[in-house]
Amino acid sequence: MKFGHEYEQVLASEGFPEQWLNSAIDYKYLKKCIKKVHRQLLALGLDGETLSHLSGWVEQPDFKVKPLQHHDYYSAAQPDLNTISEEFTPQLRILVDAQTGQPLDATLTPETKATLQGLAQHEMILAGRKEHLGTRIEPVDESESGSDSHGTPKDRVSSITELPADARWVQVPLASAQRFFDLLAPKLEDLEALRAAETRKLEEEILDLGDAVENVVEPVREGFEAKREISYRDLYFWREMFRLYLESPIFYSESEQNRGPLTFAKAKERLEAYDKQLRETGLLSKMKTPAARQAAKQFLDLNVDILKIMHFQEVNARAMVKILKKFDKQTHLEGRLFLKSLRDKYPELVPPEGSKKIVPSGFANSIARDLHAEIASKILAIVPQLDDWNCPVCYAMAWRPVSLGCCRSVFCIRCIIKLQDEGMKRCPCCNKETVMSADGRNIDFETMDFLEKYFPLEVKRRQKENEKAQLVRDYGEEFVKPSCTVM
Amino acid sequence: MSAPLPKRIIKETERLQNEPVPGISAQPHDDNARYFDVMVEGPGGSCYEGGVFNLELFLPDDYPMCPPRIRFLTRIYHPNIDRLGRICLDVLKNNWSPALQIRTILLSIQALLGAPNPEDPLNEAVAKQWKENQSEAIETAREWTKLYAQKN
Ligand SMILES: [Zn+2]
Ligand SMILES: [Zn+2]
Repeated sequence: MKFGHEYEQVLASEGFPEQWLNSAIDYKYLKKCIKKVHRQLLALGLDGETLSHLSGWVEQPDFKVKPLQHHDYYSAAQPDLNTISEEFTPQLRILVDAQTGQPLDATLTPETKATLQGLAQHEMILAGRKEHLGTRIEPVDESESGSDSHGTPKDRVSSITELPADARWVQVPLASAQRFFDLLAPKLEDLEALRAAETRKLEEEILDLGDAVENVVEPVREGFEAKREISYRDLYFWREMFRLYLESPIFYSESEQNRGPLTFAKAKERLEAYDKQLRETGLLSKMKTPAARQAAKQFLDLNVDILKIMHFQEVNARAMVKILKKFDKQTHLEGRLFLKSLRDKYPELVPPEGSKKIVPSGFANSIARDLHAEIASKILAIVPQLDDWNCPVCYAMAWRPVSLGCCRSVFCIRCIIKLQDEGMKRCPCCNKETVMSADGRNIDFETMDFLEKYFPLEVKRRQKENEKAQLVRDYGEEFVKPSCTVM
Repeated sequence: MSAPLPKRIIKETERLQNEPVPGISAQPHDDNARYFDVMVEGPGGSCYEGGVFNLELFLPDDYPMCPPRIRFLTRIYHPNIDRLGRICLDVLKNNWSPALQIRTILLSIQALLGAPNPEDPLNEAVAKQWKENQSEAIETAREWTKLYAQKN
């Protein structure tokens, strides 16, 4: 399917809000503009072949686009633009022989060509322009050779003398090209504004939802002790719901091999898989309180909303890349300056120069990254996960929690006892010799309260294990074997 | 009947499977979950580049109070690895900490391939060669890699 068609279809069928659609890139119309540029060039006898043949002798049009580089129109650095402040039209400048109307390269002898080839091109253009305009012009330094272009006047005169006396710059206004960029540039502004506004809105939603989740899972709120059983169970459902989410985050890959924001297609796939998991495990229907169910639904809706704006932004970014490529291909005029200013303004949107890789997701990328971080810190973090409270030695919950005081690690008391029994003096995490001096005073009561509150079931289980282990340590393996428990 | 597998070993194995380290794999035996077949790729830019080295790794009963036992099965020309494939690496000996894992140990071994240390040799002959004529030693390591450490 042709992209233009696919694009129209996505815009029409995905239920994007009217306000978004107003910011969408008008792909069809831009395509028409390109055709016009193409026709205009043809009418001047400048087909693609001729243009590329002339490449060294044609000055690329200046694609100054008002909303992007407004101030450049009045900039002293580009004095030749001072006179055309309001009605600026990109111009194609071709150096021709004033006598014959031939482009210069066609009339030049091979010898002259060779001599001129050695001279810097922009130097030539500047010299030619200076002569033609008859005004003093400081070099406009677009290239890297800043010092060269400020060479002595003598140098410059010498390059003029190399030019045939009747060389003239012919200026070809390209109104249709201006139309193209005038249409495209404000759309990008709109898309960026839309991204900022939607991100803000979704961040608000995330904060609200965070509050709701906090209310639902807070296990021992004052005055709610009677309901404790219920909210404990909901806490566990939420924990499982978030654990599944963290295992395969929707918008961002945390894996070591490819960390980074995901594309719309990938995110969609993950959200569908997540939704399926939730339905299969029946987590949503198991939730006890209506508030918990409501919040869970809100959580899913939030993800759907993020996906939607990602989709819209991504498809627009693709439209932009495609239409710029088309412009280059059909007009043989490179939109280089336009791309450069785009790159400065929206580094997210346009890959760095020289990079062949096109990032098709555009603003969608930053949406995915930013909102993933927001969800993680403002919602998921509310329900602590067991993995974050594991003892670094046995990987089970750090119960009873012991802090050695040398670093922030929290170990389970059994592992510390084991380390002491083995005579391993160093803290497993920071290597300081703190193990042997640990005793009852090293029990971390704050962490203990926290674990009892958020992991009541695990704490009970670990407590039993610890008691058994203590018996084994005190009386030997035989004592706790089932066959010996008849007492 | 052997004791049930500690939670720690189960979790480490799971993570090695689900989030493999690039250039490293560790597969437990079906009949002994404490015994792993390990594969380490020679690091890019080293004289072991392009080589695929097989190792065996065993987790003793005391693990993680003691380090895993590990040795090269593929022949390798390296000053810190002897002819039996034993490895001279501080984290496998005195600097072992129970907070280290199979994963981190294998990464250390891969790093050791990238930075041979002839000043702390296990294989005296190789270390001597390494110190006296480094370019020749590196060339030999390259040859051995081609000879013994090719896939399949
Ligand atoms: Zn522990
Ligand atoms: Zn420590």
